[in-house]
Amino acid sequence: MWRTLRVRLVVLRSCLNCICHVHCACAVWCARTSCVADIISTVEFNHTGELLATGDKGGRVVIFQREPEDKLQGHVRGEYNVYSTFQSHEPEFDYLKSLEIEEKINKIKWLPQQNAAHSLLSTNDKTIKLWKISERDKRPEGYNLKDEEGKLKDLSTVTSLQVPVLKPMDLMVEVSPRRIFSNGHTYHVNSISVNSDCETYMSADDLRINLWHLAITDRSFNIVDIKPANMEDLTEVITAAEFHPYHCNLFVYSSSKGSLRLCDMRASALCDKHCKLYEEPEDPSNRSFFSEIISSVSDVKFSHSGRYMLTRDYLTVKVWDLNMETKPIETYQVHDYLRSKLCSLYENDCIFDKFECAWNGSDSVIMTGAYNNFFRMFDRNTKRDVTLEASRESSKPRAVLKPRRVCVGGKRRKDDISVDSLDFTKKILHTAWHPTENIIAIAATNNLYIFQDKVNSDMH
Amino acid sequence: MLAKAGKRKFDEHEDGLEGKVVSPTDGPSKVSYTLQRQTIFNISLMKLYNHRPLTEPSLQKTVLINNMLRRIQEELKQEGSLRPMFIGASQPTDPLGDTYQEAQPAFSHLASQPVQPTDLVSTTPLESCLTPASLLEDDTFCTPQTVQQNGPSSKLPSPPPTPSPPSVQPVKDSFSSALDEIEELCPISTSSEATATAHLKDGPVASGTLKPEGTQESRTSEPKLIDSLPGNFELTASTGFLTDLTLDDILFSDIDTSMYDFDPCTSNAGTTSKMAPDELLKTLSPYSSQPVTPNQPFKMDLTELDHIMEVLVGS
Repeated sequence: MWRTLRVRLVVLRSCLNCICHVHCACAVWCARTSCVADIISTVEFNHTGELLATGDKGGRVVIFQREPEDKLQGHVRGEYNVYSTFQSHEPEFDYLKSLEIEEKINKIKWLPQQNAAHSLLSTNDKTIKLWKISERDKRPEGYNLKDEEGKLKDLSTVTSLQVPVLKPMDLMVEVSPRRIFSNGHTYHVNSISVNSDCETYMSADDLRINLWHLAITDRSFNIVDIKPANMEDLTEVITAAEFHPYHCNLFVYSSSKGSLRLCDMRASALCDKHCKLYEEPEDPSNRSFFSEIISSVSDVKFSHSGRYMLTRDYLTVKVWDLNMETKPIETYQVHDYLRSKLCSLYENDCIFDKFECAWNGSDSVIMTGAYNNFFRMFDRNTKRDVTLEASRESSKPRAVLKPRRVCVGGKRRKDDISVDSLDFTKKILHTAWHPTENIIAIAATNNLYIFQDKVNSDMH
Repeated sequence: MLAKAGKRKFDEHEDGLEGKVVSPTDGPSKVSYTLQRQTIFNISLMKLYNHRPLTEPSLQKTVLINNMLRRIQEELKQEGSLRPMFIGASQPTDPLGDTYQEAQPAFSHLASQPVQPTDLVSTTPLESCLTPASLLEDDTFCTPQTVQQNGPSSKLPSPPPTPSPPSVQPVKDSFSSALDEIEELCPISTSSEATATAHLKDGPVASGTLKPEGTQESRTSEPKLIDSLPGNFELTASTGFLTDLTLDDILFSDIDTSMYDFDPCTSNAGTTSKMAPDELLKTLSPYSSQPVTPNQPFKMDLTELDHIMEVLVGS
């Protein structure tokens, strides 16, 4: 049973709302509905789940921190508060092409924590940035030559020497840009992934994948290039890419034709030749004009174990075993009732929506978004699935998420929603699952919802 | 006749769009399948040329749309029914359909005229004229240099635009009956628009050569059309992304410009907007010869066009 998680929020921007208290509160962080810049474009937990980062179309990154346990005596642990917010990317203009470069944050990836500070990578269409997030709760006081503001003292007033001391102060979160990896991509960056060696990461755009060292910004290595000599021959693009969680030489990338390619960097410097190709033959009974579009993979994620891969296409999520290339081992229908509406969805561009998908901590449940602020979960063991809704109504105090059902055909039950009344402007594209606990973060346009499964670990 | 054709088209559109499954297997009849295919084809073309201004269109999306178009074209080729889709597309050597032959005289007739064969509209299925039309429009105004930019454009009354092109016909043209109707509907349409639309019509034909002035040339290029069209689509995909492309500027200009022109959102229209349509027309030629960035002067024009289309389509 999923409940909205209690979240206390700090109002950060004028447009932020805070919903809080009592038993549940869903997250949030609601922005002006009219403001496109506030639309959340990515959500990512860090490796411990203590921090949650969101990026938005306005180029901002907002980091939420989970309230430490000791402050919550008697309460269920798990409030997320705004921890820090900063402007990661600014709009730019490419004068050579006369094109605007949007500031929208396409992806955020946390680096494994190496010291007290946290680090994350954020990227827009072209430029990847490495940010360091550190805390400061003490400051030195009592310098001999400068005053509290840092201005030099008049030397004539200095009559004695003193030892500066550290005094406690209000906790301050400092965010500083550490590296800017630019000029590596001609096309739009759709994925970044930190390698398990913790030293390198890759960034993928529509046609190429580059390998970077985290400390080196002026050089990257092209590891995949599918750009044809003649662009007229272009029929396929890279849609997502990710490193294997353990094997630093392995990575996978997905394509707009529905295939996955696993590459081994030990094989050659340029991994144009995949070592494994995962592809499912098209089902002839479902063939339509839109077959290719709906088979385009919008997201690919390795399971935590590294054994499986999860892919999302327009209508389904699939689980692939790394050892079986011919077909996925599991296929789940996310919203098959849309199959009859593909033409309309093509016309209004919804068919190009890039839904992401997520594993739970134990790889037993998968989650992905849908329309009408619905999101879906599939239990791989019990084969049960559930449709939940992220809405402000359902996220009132003590709210328990009720399973929703979309009715297909004539038999409509109470509370069912018919396919025709689905709101296609409310889509949940970005979701994230806490790495170890049953806490999920759902980005519904400009609202972030955080839900927790309090009762038991398995879903309803 | 024109009106009739328009109407028919509209109906098709409705049929195609509303939730029918597009797969041939599901399709109740061959006819509806063809209609849907054509609807999808039209939508695809519109998508390719409608972009948000100044932003790079998603390559993934463009590629997928291109693949769709290619696939439909393949089907059409196999069925030997390319003609209905592209007016000029049918090669002279091919066994000509009635439509094509009828069109021929129109061509020769037109040779002397600057404006395109309006007759084509009546003879050929509307869609054929319409879809490419959007492209062509831009053509007229655009210079090859503009090619590199991806001008996105505002949304046209998406697929339904088909009926509209005929409506915009230049008054001077031989068109007559349909025109009168149109004019009544939209007094706004000015000569400049008319010319623009005229180009639209010859669009399919002109696409081969792509030169703005090239109506006459377009005739000669007809045979190439089949080949050139697919090329066009692909080009669109690559436009703007690749500065390194060594493609025909002509082709490019076609595509890119269209995006720009269609964009009503671009604010720059201001200066030129005050001009009378006629003046606009005059200004056209200088622009076309110069390396102009976006063709802002025509924004007004086009938005009006859109409006007209909407009226005609009854949306």
